[in-house]
Amino acid sequence: MALLLRTVARQGLCLSRSQFGVLYRHAVPMGTTAKEEMNKFWAKNTQLNRPVSPHVSIYKWSIPMMMSISHRGTGVALSSGISAFALAALVLPESYPYYLDLIHSMTFGPQFLAFSKFALAFPVAYHTFNGIRHLAWDLGKGFKIPEVYRSGYIVIALTVLTSIGLAAM
Amino acid sequence: MKRFISSHRSRAALVHPGDSSHLGLVVRIMAALVRIRSVCCRGVSPLLFRSCSLIRPLAVQKKDRDCPYLISAKIHATPSSYAGSGSKAASLHWTGERILSIVLLGLAPVAYFYPVPAVDYSLAAALTLHGHWGLGQVVTDYVHGDFKIKMANAGLFLLSTVTFAGLCYFNYHDVGICKAVALLWSK
Repeated sequence: MALLLRTVARQGLCLSRSQFGVLYRHAVPMGTTAKEEMNKFWAKNTQLNRPVSPHVSIYKWSIPMMMSISHRGTGVALSSGISAFALAALVLPESYPYYLDLIHSMTFGPQFLAFSKFALAFPVAYHTFNGIRHLAWDLGKGFKIPEVYRSGYIVIALTVLTSIGLAAM
Repeated sequence: MKRFISSHRSRAALVHPGDSSHLGLVVRIMAALVRIRSVCCRGVSPLLFRSCSLIRPLAVQKKDRDCPYLISAKIHATPSSYAGSGSKAASLHWTGERILSIVLLGLAPVAYFYPVPAVDYSLAAALTLHGHWGLGQVVTDYVHGDFKIKMANAGLFLLSTVTFAGLCYFNYHDVGICKAVALLWSK
């Protein structure tokens, strides 16, 4: 009896995946794509000037949430930095060693140099290590909540250690 | 017999394709039970040849205009299910993003041990593209409205082009990315 139940259920499962159109005789495919539906949602709601319910302002922040937005923040910051560097390379007349010496002649002590190295290394290290964490998620690994927190703490620890190590070099 | 079947239909619960939650399991068990009963009444053979006609999707957002007295499931079907092959562009883009990330990850130690022009230009390309795709996702998340999306993406494309040009110029006319980092760290 249980065997019959299982085989019948499995048959239903297989059929529901393959014979999509035939199985659900009353399932109507929509003429629009999900993208069009999303655009319609935004167009309608912005046009009606509807207020948005508080979300990030009231929800309790968690470590995973903060790490996620930090990943995005460091990514945008690093990208902007690279673009600024490239733009400067195109616009500024002198060469890189010239400007480097210029900055060094203006420095306020060795601590400033160490701190600025740390400030550069920190976002790179964080984005790199958290990026590896993201790649692990893309492989389907580490989604259990304790695992998410554990991998998060490891990323933070590695980031701090690497940044200190690089700043000391 | 028809009346018997329709009474089973009315008792069918929510069915969602690809549902793997507990609700889906309950539904499948219920559907199986419904079919067991029909097996007892009509024998096994009609069950094996017919599709699962005893399950009816019940998900309803708004009444279907064509059949006002029948409830239907409104689903998003990609063009591939009813009109030839669809586009795998989005899926391939996602995969490309991950592969590029791994390439960039591998370039870092290579740049440290072999600071040659080939690595300089590879780094310029990989960094620019990774940043371009990353900022593209940010635009997709926060920018809405057809015109605004187009403008934001155009601006991003311009920025990425200038960035790549600038980095290549730096690699050609100046010390190059690897040497630049080395110099920065030497002081």
